[in-house]
Amino acid sequence: MFWNTQRNTLAGWTLGIVGLLGLLMAPALAQPTTLTVLTHESFSLDKGLIARFEKESGIRLRFLKAGDAGETLNRAILTKAAPVADVLYGFDNSLLSKALAAGILEPYPSPQRSTLRPELLLDPTYRALPVDFGYVALNYDKAYFKDKPLPQTLADLARPEFAKLLVVENPATSSPGLAFLLATVATLGQDGYLDFWEGLRKGGVRVEKGWSEAYNVAFSKNGGDRPLVVSYATSPAAELFYSEKKLAEPPTGNLLLPGSSFLQIEFVGILKGSKHPAAARKFVDWLLSKPVQENIPTQMWVYPARKDAALPEVFKWAEVPKEPAKLPPQQIAQGAERWVREWTEVVLQGQSALTVRNARR
Amino acid sequence: MPRRFRSFAWLAWPVWAFLALALFYPLWQILALGVGEGLGPTLANPYYWGRLAWSLAYGLGSSLLVIALALPLAYAFRYRFPGRDLWLSLATVPFVLPTIVVALGFLALVGPHGVLGINLYGTPWILFWASAFYNLGLVLRMLVAVLPALEPPLAAARTLGAPPLRAYWRVGAPLLAPALLAGGGLTFLYSFSSFGLPLLLGGSRYATIEVEVYGLLAYRLAFPEATALILLQLAVLALVSFLYLNAQTRLSLSLAPSALPKALPSAAAWRLAAGVWLFFLALYAPLLALLARALAAPEALASAWTGGDFTPGALALANTLRFAGLSLLVALPVGFAYAYAVWRGDKGLDLAGLFPLMVSPVAVGLGYLLAYPSLSGSLLILIGAYALLSYPLLARALLPALRALPKGVLEAARVLGASPWRRLWRVEWPLLRPALLSGTALALAAVVGEFGATLVLRRPEWTTLSLAIYERLGKPGAEPFREALALAGLLAVLAGGVFLLLDRGRRAVG
Repeated sequence: MFWNTQRNTLAGWTLGIVGLLGLLMAPALAQPTTLTVLTHESFSLDKGLIARFEKESGIRLRFLKAGDAGETLNRAILTKAAPVADVLYGFDNSLLSKALAAGILEPYPSPQRSTLRPELLLDPTYRALPVDFGYVALNYDKAYFKDKPLPQTLADLARPEFAKLLVVENPATSSPGLAFLLATVATLGQDGYLDFWEGLRKGGVRVEKGWSEAYNVAFSKNGGDRPLVVSYATSPAAELFYSEKKLAEPPTGNLLLPGSSFLQIEFVGILKGSKHPAAARKFVDWLLSKPVQENIPTQMWVYPARKDAALPEVFKWAEVPKEPAKLPPQQIAQGAERWVREWTEVVLQGQSALTVRNARR
Repeated sequence: MPRRFRSFAWLAWPVWAFLALALFYPLWQILALGVGEGLGPTLANPYYWGRLAWSLAYGLGSSLLVIALALPLAYAFRYRFPGRDLWLSLATVPFVLPTIVVALGFLALVGPHGVLGINLYGTPWILFWASAFYNLGLVLRMLVAVLPALEPPLAAARTLGAPPLRAYWRVGAPLLAPALLAGGGLTFLYSFSSFGLPLLLGGSRYATIEVEVYGLLAYRLAFPEATALILLQLAVLALVSFLYLNAQTRLSLSLAPSALPKALPSAAAWRLAAGVWLFFLALYAPLLALLARALAAPEALASAWTGGDFTPGALALANTLRFAGLSLLVALPVGFAYAYAVWRGDKGLDLAGLFPLMVSPVAVGLGYLLAYPSLSGSLLILIGAYALLSYPLLARALLPALRALPKGVLEAARVLGASPWRRLWRVEWPLLRPALLSGTALALAAVVGEFGATLVLRRPEWTTLSLAIYERLGKPGAEPFREALALAGLLAVLAGGVFLLLDRGRRAVG
């Protein structure tokens, strides 16, 4: 029994922990105005632009990436009593109603709002301002389909020979996934969309949590086993832009089946309870300013919301779908949550479309 | 209980107060919400019954597997062979290992980029193996303690003319049953309600209820369904815990002082040793794979340390240590008061105090979000959760030591005129210190590796090592995975320190 050594263990531990903390916590002291922006993992802007903004405004920017757009918004809602950030960027028109209903956003009619495309201003209370827009669309791997037929209609996709080639994102966790789900609701109807998804499930569709898993891992162009993926109409242009060998045309193509693509508008909002409202407003104005708006296309592969922002050369490979699916915002607000739940029941939980429809009453 | 302990009767009250705030009120909030609107539709959904069925199958399968492995092993441990004491001591290593470290070890060995080249990710096999990894040591130690006590009655039965098998069946089995029930029950409890391993290794098909609850919450904010599932889980856990506690009380009666291991001829001892060593090396291979791969890529630790796209490892380590220290400040007094009150014979508190071992950490986190929304940014909430989940472990380690206090010595101190405080300080404290050390180690291990509640309550500035690892696992690509491995190696080393603390406490007792 060596009590004297043991007596010192606890004391030693405590002292050790306290000492380590002192050493480790010292550099973690925050500077005066640090603006925290809660955003999704695809957020990206030119580092030089950000550095210039920080220098001119004296505001330090911290970007907090909390997964996909849906997860990011949930995080903001779950922590609304003690916000983790000042600004929320990247929730889109399919999530807009959820964000507004949760009461987490502060109105801000930015002076920049007159320069934005009027059709994107979906929130008349200015709690959410549009920053950019794009089209969620099906992409295909050209190499795989060189001598194989492509599906001709959205309904074709649910046939077994195509379902097993497709990877989609879970609409509960991913904004392109939700946009594609909304496209199927708009095109195939409240009842038909469930049969379509049931067909996809039976045919072996692959579901991934978010866009990056679906596109960078499961898509055959990037080493996966699925030559069809739900992505964006600008993705082929991005493929060309980033290709290491100077290619004449992109290795992937848009599969713009009628009613299969969906307009996606990304918004920014100031979180209620922000400790730096003035800095947050400055940041929003800057996000809508011309230099940033012209940087957005090649950083995030979406179109700028600002009317007078010029597009880069490579965007000639990006297509605007002629027949996108459309759903009025009120309908999205009323139905989105139910459609996601029904989708989950049919695709992930394996219930039949019929059972789910019968349970609606 | 005798009157002489009356002086510390008030000790039960702070424990009740803590339990009310940290457990009962948040759980009540969950109940209210779940019974209100979620229960009906959730119970009508066959998918959730499937989840429950898998969780039950996982729990039962794990306990059967662990018993099937531990029983022959315990027989081997009746003999003395090279390395016997080492392995018996190391069998408790998994106790202090954070789930995320173990999960990463399995990914390093048999994951998509594993060393072995077999990908078992998303299969039930990886989960059963992980379960054996975690629980085998616990059941083995129980059986090693019980088996020698079987010898005399078995010998008596055979002397009276019973054939060996019949003697075993009619005499040995009933004596062994409580230990098997207790070990199997604990294994069931741990596996049925496990979160980290199924979340990280099981894919979507082998999600336990706990994982499903987390998904409902994080992705869909479906509070009603999540709470309904928590209720289902609680019902099962309460039932099994009840059975386990019953088995445990019967077990403590049948425990004879354990005999010394028997000697073997040296050739046989070496053969036995080889078998046991091989078995343990295979069982713990994931941990070895993790350490090997973490050491093979030191530059990954450097890049993980500074962070890049992720939370810097430096901050995560600082947070982990800080939270562990702060939780101990709460868990130590609460655990001590609880153990003292139970020792004095407070039956009600005895049962209530075990409750935190039953509730799921994910449920605790969810309950806090519902009950104390305005505190969601305060560290109080996280420390509360940590203290709640760790103090019972501390108290459970302390109780046997309290019960073993020699009454004569306390009596003598009292007769010689020592005040209660003086007695506590000069007589009881020195006798309790080793057990307190073990208990502190167990509590520290629970906090350092806590994953479920931390994930639900997480805020960027609270990122612990577990969460920093999880963050990196969520990104596709080899680089984040290497960083995750490096940080898991760091966390494993931290857990190793905790284990040494535990071992010292135990040595002083044993």
